[in-house]
Amino acid sequence: MIDTLIRNNMAWARARMRAESPFFMRLSEQQATEYLWIGCSASQVPANEVVGLDPGELFVHRNMENLAPSRDVNFLSVLQCPLKVLKVGHSIVCGHYGCGGVRAALDSDRRGLIDYWLQPVADLAHRCAERLDAITDFTTKVNDTCQQNMRAQVEYVGRNRFVFDAWCRWQTLAIHGWIYPIRDGLIRNLDLTVEKARDVETLARRSWCPDG
Amino acid sequence: MVSIKKVGEIESAPLELLGEPLVWFFAEHYRHRDLCKRLLQLIDVVEFDRNALNAILEFLECDLPIHILDEEDDLFPLMRKRCEPNDHIENVLGFLSGEHATDMHDASAVKCVIAKAISEKRGLGCYSESRSVIEQFCTGLKGHIAVENAVVLPVARVRLTETDLRNLGRRLAARRGLPDPFPEAS
Repeated sequence: MIDTLIRNNMAWARARMRAESPFFMRLSEQQATEYLWIGCSASQVPANEVVGLDPGELFVHRNMENLAPSRDVNFLSVLQCPLKVLKVGHSIVCGHYGCGGVRAALDSDRRGLIDYWLQPVADLAHRCAERLDAITDFTTKVNDTCQQNMRAQVEYVGRNRFVFDAWCRWQTLAIHGWIYPIRDGLIRNLDLTVEKARDVETLARRSWCPDG
Repeated sequence: MVSIKKVGEIESAPLELLGEPLVWFFAEHYRHRDLCKRLLQLIDVVEFDRNALNAILEFLECDLPIHILDEEDDLFPLMRKRCEPNDHIENVLGFLSGEHATDMHDASAVKCVIAKAISEKRGLGCYSESRSVIEQFCTGLKGHIAVENAVVLPVARVRLTETDLRNLGRRLAARRGLPDPFPEAS
């Protein structure tokens, strides 16, 4: 069964070479991407594919619930490299509706280690309890929290020291908050974009309306 | 016993209307009314008409949920973004979102009775529950279509910008796997 993946790989490499013969040569020579993607690990959201970009065009970091935790060495390393070395112009934080991690953060079941990872979202839900309690349908509650989480993560990225330093260097860098509905594949821009430190403060003060 | 009056296919909305998405919504609403008319005609029919039942089932399984996505994920968010506080649109949209959830719930009941009729090769008139579930579904659907046609779409016509409409048309087309209705525009 696992051999299928190797065969698929050969077919893929062959198809790429047919479409553009120096494809892998070009890819191996440089990594010139304009975008950093911070997304969820969910298998239904393949970062490059949903935005129609080829390998080499998107620098990707994925974790459960597309978090931007300032104490996670993995995340910080991934953030530092494209900002300092590749000098990306856009960082996209993209979540998805119906996120299993968000769902798990909202229920009271104990799952062990993962609960600690999910804690920031559980805390976020706690802070938004009044709003969420008014929503009776659990799926709607999950989706609303997914959107709230996008806003929180855009703010976290915007407050990160690496990002702050990039802005201090007059580096052009926009951070966007998007959400991906798996049911139709059409990304929604949640209009959370910040391009400078002051925007982050404005976003933090803005009354929440996911659609603008 | 009522015998079936053969009805044709549920007409598709003309694809060129995706270039005028608000007109597309009106056209889709017309199709929904047509669906209700067909369903109500079939309530008492005991004769089995596979084509008519399959066409309605397909509409309920594909067209209706996609139309609700069009409104919930694209039209309503744009309205929230563009409307002025004096438009008082939030209450209307909140009400309609609730109605959409009810539509999907009621549609499930209609799908169940149609699926049963297809599997048993009988008309909907053979089932005592047909009348209540179909009437409930059609009353709800027609009621909120009337609100959308009378309130939401006229306000959208005033508030949405040309760019909004172009993006809206593009998303409606993409959701259906259809070509970009504005290929020349950026």
